[in-house]
Amino acid sequence: MTTPNPGGYRAAAARTLRDEPDVSASVASATRTFDGHRTRAYAEIDAERWRDWARDVKTHTLTHLDRYLEQAEERLTANGVHVHWAGKASDVHHILQKIVARHGIARAVKGKSMLSEELGVNEELERLGVAVRETDLGEYIIQLLGEPPSHIVGPAIHKSLDDCRRLFHERLGTALDAEPDTLAAAARAALRQEFLDADLGISGGNFLAADSGTVALIENEGNIRLSTSLPDVHVALVGIEKVVPRMEDLAGFLQLTARAATGQPIGNFVSLIQGPRGADETDGPREVHVVLVDNGRTTLLADETGWEALRCVRCGACLNICPVYRQTGGHAYGWTYSGPIGAILAPGMLGLAEAQPLPQASSLCGACADVCPVRIPIPKLLHHWRESAVNDGLAPASEGFGMKLYASLAERPGAFGAAGSMLRLTPWRAMGSALPVLGGWVQERNAPQPSPKSFRRLWKEGIE
Amino acid sequence: MSGRDGILTRIRDALREREAADHPGTFESWRTPAVAGSALDRFEAVFTVAGGEVVRLPNPAAATAWMTQFGGEYSSATLGTTLPAELSPDLPQIDADRAELGVSMARGAVAETGSLLLDARDGRRTQLLAPTHVVFVHAEDIHVTLLEALNELSSDLPSAIGLHSGPSKSADIGQILVKGVHGPGRIIAGIIAAEAPTDHAEDT
Amino acid sequence: MRVALFATCLADQFFADACADTVRLLRHLGVDVDFPEGQTCCGQPAHNSGHAPEARRMARHTLGVFRDAEHVVLPSGSCAGMIRCHYPEIEDSEAARDLSARTWELSEFLVKVLEVETLGHGLEGKTIAYHHGCHALRELRVEAEPTTLLRGAGAEIVEWEADQECCGFGGLFSTKLPEVSAAMADRKLDSLPDVDFVTSADGGCLLQLSGRAGKLEQPTRFRHLASVLWEGVTG
Repeated sequence: MTTPNPGGYRAAAARTLRDEPDVSASVASATRTFDGHRTRAYAEIDAERWRDWARDVKTHTLTHLDRYLEQAEERLTANGVHVHWAGKASDVHHILQKIVARHGIARAVKGKSMLSEELGVNEELERLGVAVRETDLGEYIIQLLGEPPSHIVGPAIHKSLDDCRRLFHERLGTALDAEPDTLAAAARAALRQEFLDADLGISGGNFLAADSGTVALIENEGNIRLSTSLPDVHVALVGIEKVVPRMEDLAGFLQLTARAATGQPIGNFVSLIQGPRGADETDGPREVHVVLVDNGRTTLLADETGWEALRCVRCGACLNICPVYRQTGGHAYGWTYSGPIGAILAPGMLGLAEAQPLPQASSLCGACADVCPVRIPIPKLLHHWRESAVNDGLAPASEGFGMKLYASLAERPGAFGAAGSMLRLTPWRAMGSALPVLGGWVQERNAPQPSPKSFRRLWKEGIE
Repeated sequence: MSGRDGILTRIRDALREREAADHPGTFESWRTPAVAGSALDRFEAVFTVAGGEVVRLPNPAAATAWMTQFGGEYSSATLGTTLPAELSPDLPQIDADRAELGVSMARGAVAETGSLLLDARDGRRTQLLAPTHVVFVHAEDIHVTLLEALNELSSDLPSAIGLHSGPSKSADIGQILVKGVHGPGRIIAGIIAAEAPTDHAEDT
Repeated sequence: MRVALFATCLADQFFADACADTVRLLRHLGVDVDFPEGQTCCGQPAHNSGHAPEARRMARHTLGVFRDAEHVVLPSGSCAGMIRCHYPEIEDSEAARDLSARTWELSEFLVKVLEVETLGHGLEGKTIAYHHGCHALRELRVEAEPTTLLRGAGAEIVEWEADQECCGFGGLFSTKLPEVSAAMADRKLDSLPDVDFVTSADGGCLLQLSGRAGKLEQPTRFRHLASVLWEGVTG
């Protein structure tokens, strides 16, 4: 986990656009592909009803969250799982420290987990002397590069085939023009021994069914099944908002999440984990831990409007359709979660000041709300956080003055008309440096030409 | 306050003024007109689109014959612990991490998602480590919906269930699809129909 | 039938001819048009940037101006969206809900209220790319109406893969995050097919796209939907 830096968004986005056209191209291509798959997959089902159902289950769960977490803990414990509660990242680190110490953990394999990124788990494990290997192919690639993930579902979508060829040539000795199959085979061979040698497997949790004490995990590669089956100890990091009431609810969520994320009827591998290996089993971990993590989620839950963001199932559909995200990928946002969902989680989880300007990093086009499988009203939440920012004094003073002046004029039609006439005479280019609003416009576009006469004037003169 | 107490207290405080919402009820896969045909037809359609292979075996004897013939291409195998002897290929059994072929007995399957239900009691290593994975399932154990499958599973849950719905794949390398990244790159579902209770033409 | 025209602050200054063409078009279709001169701004810039008190002031003012109008018609999807979708949120009042129900973007007014789909032959032989502004498309759910009217006047609407993607205007977004905004406009412009002109129901979108095209010295023409529809009548 690098220190969150949403504040750097504008500069980072500008830099990506200016200096890394390949990143923009790769991200645009990948997100379009994902979105195309999702569109087709939604069309095969009664998407409106599925999404209503999913929204309602999540809303019900969140409004009874304490009860369901307690039930989940009880079931998991009865299944033989060690349940931990972590208020913040350092609590997770302490829990890991104890597990590492007790078992003498030297090597860990990890399935993809955005929560583990959020918590800085890899850095902590390395600090404890544990060799950590990311096993999801996309995470493996960015681990080799030393970069954070760029997208919730496809961490390396900002990298092209040629980028991967160069990387694998350097690190795994494959040919510079190797086909993707060859690169994948090299990764498989390199990681195979890691799975077999690891003492600890770490996963996230897509869902946690409270009535059966089941951690559900979705993937396509098989690395999560391997990471949660081969090592003796498995630790699942699960955000508190991931709980669902019943195992039968997974019937809807496993299918809807897969359709929203990649357009599949279901992920190629789904793990439904109840606990450590049974007496009648020949393999599987001997010890399973579930860490229930808050890390700002309860703060978000307390926000009367912002709490709806906690329905998120981390499918990435909003990223895939967002015309803003598509220009740069996730790194510019400076936090684990990017795109529309990042912009509505950050104010609650990082605090509003720290989250700026992410809620502003949107044209409010609304495409995201049309695709979200749990119907999070993202534009409404973005607006809410913008209003909160103004109320908290985080908007530029000049903007506040400008708005008040504008509103005063708008209440006085005569003055408004007169001001409009003056606006028409403003030399935008010359004034650009004095007024940021105009400067921002003319930096990238020609100044607009006002009509020779305003419509008000034309009306007065009579419309033929 | 302990982590647990702190979290639960913060949740309760957050929800104090929040209007509680009801659970909407059981999911029902509401969808546009379903694929025609039996659950088996449906399973095959979805599973093969995802890259899996299906072999229809009209009776247990046919399954044995097919396994013998298919296994002839391989030099070693790892077998599920609940796999019946008549479905086991006659191959040297070695550790799963070196075996060329893994053969499992599924607990069931799901038609609407094209999924095989693999029980941890049958052996996870066999289900995951060999590059080619054969999974036998009885046709009558194919559930139409994932909901039905989960309800059946929940009555008897092992440490883990794997739903395997296709070969291991990834598009993380430049958005190009590759198979067999970590899990098996080839998965074959051998669907065994029950012995048909008809006249036995070969009875003497 | 009488309608009140809400020209919108942006169109009043930058698309005055389109507003005039709106009047001509409505009169041609047998509608009397009032122009309540107390109108100013719907308040969207304040609302979208989170300045709620200012948005409320402008909403109240606008509610007063149009209180007595039977229908309010706007040559702007985003301003119509502001009134219809957001006024009832800003002002939880009968007046706001009432105005919301009487407010229309121009093309949807023609098709849904006047039940007009063929205006004439004035656009015969013209190839057009239609830009769907986000508020018209996603707030008002105006999607088929503009193109129905354009085709009804003889135009060919040329397929444009990015036609429903955001142009990058987003009000103040365009000036606060100009680099990303420009990149979004570039996506629209790069994927444009070869057409006689591009049209849209929103002046903000047109300023964004034409401003960017101009800077890049692309010769594409951009015209307001109201003027194009009037040309559909007059030829």
